[in-house]
Amino acid sequence: MTKAEVVAMILAGGQGSRLGVLTKKLAKPAVPFGSRYRIIDFTMSNCVNSGIEIVGVLSQYQPLALNTYVGNGHPWDLDRNNAGAYILPPYQRSGKSDWYKGTANAIYQNRDFLDDANPTYIVVLSGDHIYKMNYEEMIRAHIEKGADATLAVIEVPWEEAPRFGILNTKSDDVITEFVEKPANPESNLASMGVYVFTWSVLREALIEDETNPDSSNDFGKNIVPMLLNQGKKLSAYRYAGYWKDVGTIASLWETNMDILDRPEEINLVDRSWRIYSRNPVKPSHFIGPDASVVNSALTDGCRIYGNVVHSVLSNSVVVEKGAYVKDCVLFPGVVVKAGASIERCIVDFGTIIGKDVSAGANVSGESPYINKKLCSGGICVFERGLVIKEGAIIPANSMVDSDLKVAPEKSVIESTFRV
Amino acid sequence: MFTDAMGLILADNKKISLGELSSPRALSAMPFAGRYRIIDFTLSNMVNSGIKNVGILTYNKYKSLMDHLGTGAAWSLDRKNDGLHILPPYVNSEATSISGDEELAGLIDFLRTSRTTYVIVANSNIVFNTKFDELIKSHKQTGADISVMYNKDGLKSGKPFYILDTDKNGFVKDMLFNPEKSSSNKSSLGVICLRRDLLIDSIARQMAHGLTHFGIHSFVKMYDELKVHALEYNGVVLRINNVQSYFYSSMSLIDDAIRNDLFWNGEPVYTKVKDEAPTLYFDNANVGNAIISDGCRIYGNVEESIIFRGVTISKNTTIKNCIIMQDSHISENCQLENVILDKNSFVRPGVRLIGHRDYPVVIGKGAGI
Repeated sequence: MTKAEVVAMILAGGQGSRLGVLTKKLAKPAVPFGSRYRIIDFTMSNCVNSGIEIVGVLSQYQPLALNTYVGNGHPWDLDRNNAGAYILPPYQRSGKSDWYKGTANAIYQNRDFLDDANPTYIVVLSGDHIYKMNYEEMIRAHIEKGADATLAVIEVPWEEAPRFGILNTKSDDVITEFVEKPANPESNLASMGVYVFTWSVLREALIEDETNPDSSNDFGKNIVPMLLNQGKKLSAYRYAGYWKDVGTIASLWETNMDILDRPEEINLVDRSWRIYSRNPVKPSHFIGPDASVVNSALTDGCRIYGNVVHSVLSNSVVVEKGAYVKDCVLFPGVVVKAGASIERCIVDFGTIIGKDVSAGANVSGESPYINKKLCSGGICVFERGLVIKEGAIIPANSMVDSDLKVAPEKSVIESTFRV
Repeated sequence: MFTDAMGLILADNKKISLGELSSPRALSAMPFAGRYRIIDFTLSNMVNSGIKNVGILTYNKYKSLMDHLGTGAAWSLDRKNDGLHILPPYVNSEATSISGDEELAGLIDFLRTSRTTYVIVANSNIVFNTKFDELIKSHKQTGADISVMYNKDGLKSGKPFYILDTDKNGFVKDMLFNPEKSSSNKSSLGVICLRRDLLIDSIARQMAHGLTHFGIHSFVKMYDELKVHALEYNGVVLRINNVQSYFYSSMSLIDDAIRNDLFWNGEPVYTKVKDEAPTLYFDNANVGNAIISDGCRIYGNVEESIIFRGVTISKNTTIKNCIIMQDSHISENCQLENVILDKNSFVRPGVRLIGHRDYPVVIGKGAGI
């Protein structure tokens, strides 16, 4: 690796447990999004489009699919001779070895990697946000203001501020305080989880943080307050574009729907800021003779013979004749059989919705699959690789999980298969 | 698994012209099926057969082909050993113009660098999805010097075509070019298998006899002195021999059986990746029997058509039985029927363009209408 001015580190190791069955076999950043992407494509593409050529991807939870997906970084033009995409799992070393304990610890454990590249600045990013942002402009602001750390912030509605990590600032957007989920917020500037650090400053802070046994080794909780205590200059960088955290079933669904309802905001067709992804190698999609497709997003390999309304379909989805799909997000390879009717459903890889199944927001009744802890707004979620029984009825807010213990007569799962 | 063959694709064919469509590009670089170029099929067939060394013989108009193929990464042919080799005419510093001699001399050099026993040589005017394992196996079993693939399209093939007549053991005893009538319906696919050393010797001999152009059927024609065996192919074959057959072949993709044979039952067909956005269908979109690629925005009506990547079909516009190529824009209140619209074209509001099913209107690359 050659010396780089800037290195980006993408935190992609979190479990994403609020996505339930969707992250049972898959790290959250590798979850499909927006018809032809994975969530991490947005952050990866932002790095490349911002001119950052060394990108470390820190993986830990269910890394297999994510590691395969990122691979040698080729889809993002990150297969370079002396730079590129590097997958950085926790590893064993002589002396003390550990899993990544927190976001800051993950960077701490990779300080050898960073020292090799010896960057002046490092950008720390999360792999689970949907947004388009030019990090180069943010780094410029960081340099101009002479900051030690710069945190990207977005103005959120005051009533939503208690859900975010809030930054209190004084004049010229100098940060005075970081408050995690304040009950009575003093500001509505939410941290986006996008950080620029001067590497020498962060390096020292990470080493010091490791000596504190009480620290949870987290950027927001520990590193930012520590830097503030040390009197370092922390600056807020205001971002005003589209930005969504897709951490919950409801927000994942909503953000997918934004592609249909607010296509100009995330603007996927902008050729000056393309979002790159790994290609599925499938033919163009086909709309059959009696099909109807409106207000929807489709991609390669889909074959549609039924009705698709206001839905986001990933590659190779099949909707048979007479099937009805409304307000749904269907992951690659999902099949909706004839006569099935599904509304507000997120269906994971390859699952086959049997004939005449009725599922989703418009279906009422009792079911052992109802999971109000994770599902809201009527949204139903199906695990990957399921065959759903013909004629099954699955009410709103269900999460169909093959590991759930359900009496055979109440089970809606005919069989499971490996995807 | 270990295929002892290399590939050679003839990227152009001096006998075939698609008029305005082939004027900016080699035949093999013709856009097809929404997101492919014709060459993708033969190239994918070779790669899917385990071939790791492919030469592409070109003689002119190869810019768009080179843009498309790049380093060969999309076909996993960006390799240290072997990989993809584009073979433009070899011109030494003294030559003032390109003659066929250079074309063939460069080819012999390329063939000599390989270490495989066999070579599969293919024209690029057909679209099919197969593996050449069967061809190589049959070639070894029959003890033939040359094996040639055919199907039973016969006189329906569309000119130019070659009809093969065989004896009862399947060895070729006659070959006819564009016959008006024939007792045989075995139409050559323009794909042959032979030993690499035989190919090199034959090219050298042809050059010594003053022949300057490399053609697959000049080898098949050697049935008097060599054993030329014909192998039938039963799968779907689409021939691109002229504008009409390009139009028919494209439109036949709307048939589920044909599309499944080409794309879903066999190995994947690789092509250059474009990273377009997903296609968006809006409120009044009305689409039936259509192949639609990524990056399109559909506001209007599309029926029995092939829409390439990045196309916009505006409100109150109807597209019927058309091929609309990459990045074209069709404005509001238009009606297009039986039209082939090449890349980057712009159709202004209210335009009405109606061709005939057998004679589609062809609009060249980058037109403003």
